[in-house]
Amino acid sequence: MYTYNKNHRVLSKKTEHIFVQLLEENQNIVHKICRLYTNDQDAHNDLFQEITIQLWKAYPKFRGDAKFSTWMYRVALNTAITLYRKSKRSVKTQEFENVAFKIKAQEYDDTEEKQLSVMYAAIKQLNDIDKALVFLYLEDKNYTEISDTLGITEVNARVKMNRIKKKLKSILNP
Amino acid sequence: MDELDLLKKDWKKQDAHLPHIKAKEIYPLLLKKSSSIVKWIFLISIAELILGVLLNFFTADQRFWEIIEDIHLKTANIIMYIIDYIVLGFFIFMFYKRYRAINTTDSASALMKNILKTRKIVKYYIIYVLTSSGITFFIAFIFTLLYSNKFEGLRTSINWNKAIAIGLIVTIIFIGILWGIYTLLYGILLRKLKKNYKEIKRLEI
Repeated sequence: MYTYNKNHRVLSKKTEHIFVQLLEENQNIVHKICRLYTNDQDAHNDLFQEITIQLWKAYPKFRGDAKFSTWMYRVALNTAITLYRKSKRSVKTQEFENVAFKIKAQEYDDTEEKQLSVMYAAIKQLNDIDKALVFLYLEDKNYTEISDTLGITEVNARVKMNRIKKKLKSILNP
Repeated sequence: MDELDLLKKDWKKQDAHLPHIKAKEIYPLLLKKSSSIVKWIFLISIAELILGVLLNFFTADQRFWEIIEDIHLKTANIIMYIIDYIVLGFFIFMFYKRYRAINTTDSASALMKNILKTRKIVKYYIIYVLTSSGITFFIAFIFTLLYSNKFEGLRTSINWNKAIAIGLIVTIIFIGILWGIYTLLYGILLRKLKKNYKEIKRLEI
C-alpha cells in the first residue's frame, strides 16, 4: 500500500510538472483570451487563474493524441464564455451594428494603424460567442476546428464569419 | 486581402507584448479553488436537495406528531414522507448523472447544454417540493377545520366555500412567493449562460 501511494505521488508530481511546462509554453493563448474577455488587469488575472484551474482539472482527460494547444483552446474558451462568473467585470457587450456605427462616426481614420485599433475595439465589444469565433479565426484555426470547438456546423461558422467580415469592411470603407 | 486578414497579421505581433507567468508562479495557482458557475450550481443544488430532509428532521418532533394524529393525518403523513424520500433519491441520482456529464472539454454548445440540463433537474425537484408542500398545506388546513379540537365549537357554523377559498388563496400566495425568490436567484446566476446559449443556438439554425 505504501509503495503504491509513493508511486502514485511521484507520478502525480511528474504529471503536475509536465502540465505546468505545457501551460508555461502555451500561456499566450490564455492571455489573449483573457484580454479579449476582460477589461482590466485584475479581471485578467482572475480569469487566467480560473482557466488554469479548469485546465488542470480537465488535464486527466487530455490524451496525447491531440495537440495540447488545440485542447487548451477549448477548455480556455469554455471557461471564459460559460464558467467564468464575474461578468460585471468583463466588457459590456452590444450589438455589433451599433458599436460599428458609433466607432465609425467618432474615430474613423484612413491609416492602417487607426484601422487596426478600430477593429480591435469593435471585436472587443462583440458578444461572447462572436468573440470566440473571431478569436479562433485570428489564431489561424480552420473552420472545421472552429465549428468543433464551438459546437456549431461548419457552414454556420462560415456564414457568421462572413457577416462579421462584411461588417468590418463597411466600417473601414464607408 | 480583407480587413480581418490585416488584423490577423497584426494579431501575431501581440505575442511579444503579452505578460509571461513563470512555471514556479503557476504551481500555486493549481491549488486555488475554482469559483466557476458549475461549482456554484453544485453547491446550491446540494443545499436545496437536503433542505427538505433537514426541515422534516427538525420540525417533526413529538408535538408535531400529536397534532397530525389529532387531525387524522398520521398515516397519510408517513406515506408522504416515504414518497418524498423516494422522489428525493431519484432526483439525487439524476442530478449526479447530469452533473457528471458536465465536461469542460466538450464543445461550447454541448457544455452549456449540459449545465442547463443539470440545473433543470433541480428545478423540477423544486417544483415537486413546492407542489407537494402546497397540497399538504391545503389538506392540513381543511383537516384541521374538520377534526381539530380547537374548532369543535365553530365547526357547525363554518362556511365551507369560504374556508376552501381562503385556504387555496393562502396556499397559492405562499408557494408563489417561494417560487419568485427561487427564480430570481437563478435568474441572476444563469443570465449570462442563458444569453450565450441562445446566441449559439441561433447560429445552429
